Amino acid sequence: MIDVRPAALAGLVAMLVATVVVGVFARRYARTTSDFLVAARSVPPTANAAAISGEYLSAASFLGVAGLVMQYGYDALWYPVCYAAGYLVLLVFIAGPLRRFGAYTIPDFAEGRFASPGFRRLAVAFVVLIGLFYMLPQMKAAGITVETATGVPYPVGVAAVTVVVIAIVVAGGMRGVTIVQAMQFSVKLFAISVPLFILLFEFGTPWHIFATVGATRNPALTRPLTVAVQKGETWTLPSPLRLATDHPVSASERGGPPILLRSGSLAPAGTLVWRGSAQVTLAAGEVAPMNPQTPVNPSSTWLRPFGPLTGGSGQPVLYTYSLIIAILCGTMGLPHVLVRFYTNPDARAARRTAATVLVLVGVFYLWTPLWGALGRLMAPELYTTGLTDAVVLYLPRQALPHLLGAAVSGIVAAGAFAAFTATLSGLLISLAGAIGHDVYGRWLRPDASGASRRAAFRASAVGAGVVAAAAGLMVENFDISVLVGWAFAIAASSFFPLLVLGIWWRRLSVAGAAVGVAVGGASATVAIVTTMVGAGVPRLAGFLQAHSALGVILSQPGIVTIPLSFLAMVAVSLRTRAPANVPAAMLQLHVPDRLGLRRDYIRD
Amino acid sequence: MSAPLPLPPRSAPELRDLEEQTQVGEVLLRALMRRQLRLSVLIIAVLVVLLAAQPLLAWVWPSYADIHVLSIPLPWLVLGVGSYPVLVLLGIIYVRAAETIDSEFGDLLRR
Repeated sequence: MIDVRPAALAGLVAMLVATVVVGVFARRYARTTSDFLVAARSVPPTANAAAISGEYLSAASFLGVAGLVMQYGYDALWYPVCYAAGYLVLLVFIAGPLRRFGAYTIPDFAEGRFASPGFRRLAVAFVVLIGLFYMLPQMKAAGITVETATGVPYPVGVAAVTVVVIAIVVAGGMRGVTIVQAMQFSVKLFAISVPLFILLFEFGTPWHIFATVGATRNPALTRPLTVAVQKGETWTLPSPLRLATDHPVSASERGGPPILLRSGSLAPAGTLVWRGSAQVTLAAGEVAPMNPQTPVNPSSTWLRPFGPLTGGSGQPVLYTYSLIIAILCGTMGLPHVLVRFYTNPDARAARRTAATVLVLVGVFYLWTPLWGALGRLMAPELYTTGLTDAVVLYLPRQALPHLLGAAVSGIVAAGAFAAFTATLSGLLISLAGAIGHDVYGRWLRPDASGASRRAAFRASAVGAGVVAAAAGLMVENFDISVLVGWAFAIAASSFFPLLVLGIWWRRLSVAGAAVGVAVGGASATVAIVTTMVGAGVPRLAGFLQAHSALGVILSQPGIVTIPLSFLAMVAVSLRTRAPANVPAAMLQLHVPDRLGLRRDYIRD
Repeated sequence: MSAPLPLPPRSAPELRDLEEQTQVGEVLLRALMRRQLRLSVLIIAVLVVLLAAQPLLAWVWPSYADIHVLSIPLPWLVLGVGSYPVLVLLGIIYVRAAETIDSEFGDLLRR
């Protein structure tokens, strides 16, 4: 294998240059506050849909879905399908009305609908919370990608990407980002599909791949593997394993007596705890040992519903349903997703944009599971090293001949770069908008001039970026899907009920909305924190294992916390008065554009 | 928010009703909202039934996962490939129907 770093690095640099050039070019057109924040509402639906898709397809989609499919098989398919289906929910419930309403953030909607600055503050707090949490997994992906491509340490990668993203946002505002993100969508679609076609051309058709996976019980190494194991590390062996070590080293089955492993030893199937450090070499054809985060998942369960992802809890159907509902409802509550819809000229364009997004993200997600299946076949060593999340970056260099492998590595590195920079810059705009527009422009200096508002937006972007990068440095060892799942669950349990009831139910009062957002968001947060803490506390973990339904609800809380939030909103609203401006708000939300009732919050 | 809404130049009496929120205007607006909401709920009901049926089918009839098409298990094809065209189709149906409801409402006011 030749060193592919130069090619991967070239891919990153090419993407960086393209981003900066397009961003600088676009800057010439950003003149006024309105330009800056909502791109003057002159973006045509197709371009806007590409930008939305470019922003939405984050590192969790570009890298994470393939890794998840590689680990869990069929069950992981719910993620990409529901990420796409979440847009249909957004389209039919809120796209048109919210655009007519003329606000461009959830806090704007919250205040306009309820005429309550106090409630607006609660909404801003949740925007910042969800936004920061969604930035963490992107930061981690950024650090890993730059680390893989260039060999620099994780913190340097995070810092470098943060600087680039802040520069994009500060230089161009959303006008710049619209064009940059539309370009980034094209890069991502190209990078997830063309390298896959090359790999398939090399290794056979999808049906051939599935037939081969189905014919083997557990994934077997395709080439010899040498790994350094540390004292205390755990492996799970699906079957007895013949191995070689650089020196004799002691290991034990969990709780069992120690056994001495040397070259040619046969380790028994089951859990193996290393009691010393060593270089261990495995021959090609051996069944890959699983690292502690990777469950044993033979092809018989990998290919079928209710494998370890949903079935590990003992309540597979409940878990699957809760996963579906959280992702479907969480999409519209992500703060950076809604902002985009206000760059449409009217509600009709907003609806058409959302429908186009369905096409674009569908074409993208269609390819991601095949990466996971190919990874299971061609790169099972990732199960041992625990790097299944990197399978898209890893496969081209490992499985393709030299020059071709290097070139394709450059392409996927550029795609990964596009993935996390697009989502990070979108999130940063939302956070900077919430902080700069709300905290500064409304509470601190309501009489601020346009120039100082733009300065506040820029300063907020820098501040939020630095905070997220600092937090991102601490999540290197956290599971990306846990962090992404947390952001979705909180969004689904707070902003989803607020938006749906706020638009379609007149009686929703400000007290009801505030209680619902707080109850839903807080209960989802508490449930997930309990699960995370529970993983480290054996007594709690054992209790949750014994009460599997409770365990499922805490780790995947949407199925309970979303209805809870709705119930709280309805119950409190029926006991309080709806705000006086409801008739006017309903007119603005629902009367078709061409009747001329629309007003925009932001004017030049 | 409390500033009066600007009236469009050519304002039919019913549009004035809407703006001034008279009883007639209320009735018209409620009818529009009900039609739009019914359409939205219908589309999402189809989506939820199609998605929710799959785990249920796999649960009550495990041999569902044993059906293969070209060596690929049928559940993979249904969920991982079949979902996207259905989503696009539902999206197109929704956009068309919602635009029809909006334009019928506009015709009603301008008649």
